[in-house]
Amino acid sequence: MTLLEFARGPAMEWSLIILVAGVVLRFAGIFLLTRHKTYFRTKGGSTLAAGLRTIGTRSAPTPDLEHRVRFSHYTGYLWHIGLFITVLFYTPHILFFESILGFGWPGLPTSVVLAAAAVTLAVLIALLIRRMVHPVLKTISGFDDYASWFVTTLPLVTGLVAFGHIGAGFGWRYETLLAVHILSVELLFVYFPFGKLFHPFSIWFTRYMIGGQMEQRGVRA
Amino acid sequence: MSLNREAFNKFAEMAGQLAGMDTPVEMPDDQRVANAKRVMMEKMDAPKAAMLESCIHCGMCAEVCHFYMTQEDGKFTPILKLDLLKRVYRRELSPLRWMHRLYTRDVTIEDLEEWQELVYDTCTVCGRCSLICPMGIHIAAMMPIMRSAYSAAGMVPAELHLMDTQQEQGHLFGVGKDEFMGLIEQLRSQGLEIPVDKDKADIMVLTSVLDIMVSQDSLVAMIKIMNHLGYDWTFRTDGYECANFGMLSGNEEGHLKASRKIIDAAVAIGAKKVIVAECGHSYPALRYEAPDIWGHALPFEVLATSEFLGQEVEKGTLKLKKAEGAHTVTFHDPCKNNRWGGVEKEPRAVLTALGLEIREPESTGRTNICCGGGGGAFLINRTADYRQRVFELKRDQIEATGSEALVVSCGSCRLNFEVGKMKSNWGKPVESLVEMVGDNLDDGARGSTAGSPQNSTQ
Repeated sequence: MTLLEFARGPAMEWSLIILVAGVVLRFAGIFLLTRHKTYFRTKGGSTLAAGLRTIGTRSAPTPDLEHRVRFSHYTGYLWHIGLFITVLFYTPHILFFESILGFGWPGLPTSVVLAAAAVTLAVLIALLIRRMVHPVLKTISGFDDYASWFVTTLPLVTGLVAFGHIGAGFGWRYETLLAVHILSVELLFVYFPFGKLFHPFSIWFTRYMIGGQMEQRGVRA
Repeated sequence: MSLNREAFNKFAEMAGQLAGMDTPVEMPDDQRVANAKRVMMEKMDAPKAAMLESCIHCGMCAEVCHFYMTQEDGKFTPILKLDLLKRVYRRELSPLRWMHRLYTRDVTIEDLEEWQELVYDTCTVCGRCSLICPMGIHIAAMMPIMRSAYSAAGMVPAELHLMDTQQEQGHLFGVGKDEFMGLIEQLRSQGLEIPVDKDKADIMVLTSVLDIMVSQDSLVAMIKIMNHLGYDWTFRTDGYECANFGMLSGNEEGHLKASRKIIDAAVAIGAKKVIVAECGHSYPALRYEAPDIWGHALPFEVLATSEFLGQEVEKGTLKLKKAEGAHTVTFHDPCKNNRWGGVEKEPRAVLTALGLEIREPESTGRTNICCGGGGGAFLINRTADYRQRVFELKRDQIEATGSEALVVSCGSCRLNFEVGKMKSNWGKPVESLVEMVGDNLDDGARGSTAGSPQNSTQ
């Protein structure tokens, strides 16, 4: 079995199993905890509506709250969008998804995807430096923050290396570079449920919950 | 009306001596840690766990916290203030505890000592951090767990511990039922009609130790307003104090005990409404927190003073004259009334009825910046410098509005502003909302308004 066959075969299967099992385990562990009952007379309107509304409104804080977090806010949007473009609209990625899902979608020109990947990588590097020097971020950061950055950034780097055939001069074959890229994605899958990268799954619940909790007191979250 | 300076100075002097009067709780260190951890585990539930699991360490919560905004020190980051809770959760309850135990340090007595400043001195539990978190983590809602843990560990700051102890003994700053009645008799001798200890009444009105000691004009104003409205109301000597130092210190038992005095008195007289004095934390303490600790819904409505006044104005039962003096005002929303209680439009309705132009600061309503003294911080002497810096942040926002006066509806916010004013030579008048209403009751409209709500609070 070649490295590429390993990456595309058992490594992919096991990383996806760990991803799904990890997410299920983490959610089950959280939501099997008890819930404290509320006895006070609620004040606002529908907590369901408020919760759903808050899922959206938390993406755009009011100006007087946002003006000190603008850098974090917009760079956050930038690299997430860049990553989505890179993952979902690069034609070879679409072909890979099609082989699993049975359907595909139109890709973006390679130059656009490449630019998105480059911007994403640049922003991630800037955010890493900021995390190490900012008085708040350097205080609250730990292993998970840097590990999450690493496993998120690595697929971008290995993808760009594979795309550019960088390393060919050292005798590395494209298949090897591609295998390393796929393995780096699988590392991301494996780490995903165990650290803060879990947040794309939990954000919907937590935003919903705070929206409902504050609405019970007549406060817009 | 203005603050009674002599009483204010006396109060400030007494507050300055609180720490030295407290008897610390004796307990072995390992017991303190065990108690704190036990409370943290008991208070954890699924929504809080989901929130603690979701932090991405973005640091945005710090950027809206008045203590970080004025100190620029990373240790004041709100989510970091919950770190001990997060560590206990991760090691003991998290679905990944087998993994977290490998690298998450257990909580030690040194941690508890270090975090005390973050839990009490530099967090007014204002809740602003909960508004910005992109993950929707209700950081401020978990701070009371930290305070409960500290209370169980016998590590509440001396000032708050003393007040909590005094409240359990039936007095605050030496003010108990006798002193309250002494003031009532004094006011009665001045011609005020004051119902006390009626067997049945539709409305029970609360006061606070601050009103009794320092802001007696607020108490007088409330009496005049209630008499003007013609409602069936009363004070009760078995449930007059709205301040709740159990809540501020984290002593849930003390919190409920203080609340039960009010609840039992209100139930005994069949009150349909209980009106909390201008005292920020007292409102959520009774309205929202007490039922959850008690495990029962309250059989009456709880209203903050500003909320009650606003509702009466909106119903047309409270007619007011145009206020004399300042024409433009800024209203300071007490965090505990607005962000923790949803009281926002009512005080503004009152100010509008008084013919005043409201000039809102950059951060107002639900995003309002705390006065700096909330959550009991006002009484903790060592926080004076922190409070003053927050006051200056707030002062600058108010100054930028160009308004002539600041109006508040919380006694401790008011005192914090007064202290800040003195220290920074700020000349802005700080007015109490209830006192402004009491000064501007439209007696000419009384005939047409007092009749309709007579003996009815609906």
